[in-house]
Amino acid sequence: MKRIEVKLSLPVVAPLLDVMKSVADSLMGSLAVPLNPIEGDEEMHDTLQAELLGAQNGGVRSLLEMFDREFFETGMIAFDEENAEPILRACAALRLRMREQYLKTFEDESLESGDVEIEDLPEPMRHIFMCYVFLATIQELIIQHLDSEILEG
Amino acid sequence: MTTIFSSTQPQQETHTELALAGACRVVVLNDPVNLMSYVVLVFKKVFGFDERTARKHMLEVHELGRSVVWTGLREKAEAYAFTLHEWHLTAIIETDEKN
Repeated sequence: MKRIEVKLSLPVVAPLLDVMKSVADSLMGSLAVPLNPIEGDEEMHDTLQAELLGAQNGGVRSLLEMFDREFFETGMIAFDEENAEPILRACAALRLRMREQYLKTFEDESLESGDVEIEDLPEPMRHIFMCYVFLATIQELIIQHLDSEILEG
Repeated sequence: MTTIFSSTQPQQETHTELALAGACRVVVLNDPVNLMSYVVLVFKKVFGFDERTARKHMLEVHELGRSVVWTGLREKAEAYAFTLHEWHLTAIIETDEKN
């Protein structure tokens, strides 16, 4: 099984985990991308909503599980073919929710280009934005380093 | 010149047309959050696009705000929209009035 291990800086990443957990909690009962109502079929809407929510929560769980006791001892996180996809999706869900909850004041262009001076941001916005960028970095790592068989199969 | 009139010649012609009854478009809308590389990956994975096609659709989404990524029967369009939703992309289904 192909596996990527990444060593992270504990002092940098550990403070971001609180932000991550708080955003993850807010996703427990609602979708990162709301489901449009299905005309005249409320039951189907509820079924799809529940399925999507189950998948979303599963992914978020996989993401948070990477930051376990081993991470706090060694600073290591690992991706493999089992957790890569759920983690990729979970990062997307968290980033979408962060944008909606905390980063509304940022221009779309600034967020897309990442052209934001982190040093100029006040707390707690600094940690929130750092977490937003960190999640994108995890996504890039997975996309770049796990081969196409795993991600595109 | 001899003309042969066949008694078995059909009086009416039946024309069968295969139409995409209720054809729909799956349209992906832009968001400022998801990474370009992520969107390309999702398109390759969900629709089986090659790199070039996936990038073309991603750039359409990015630059024009939307891209039609699939056209066909409603049932399948709904399944694709659901899968895109699982990947947290914003997708809508439009009725294709040409069909």
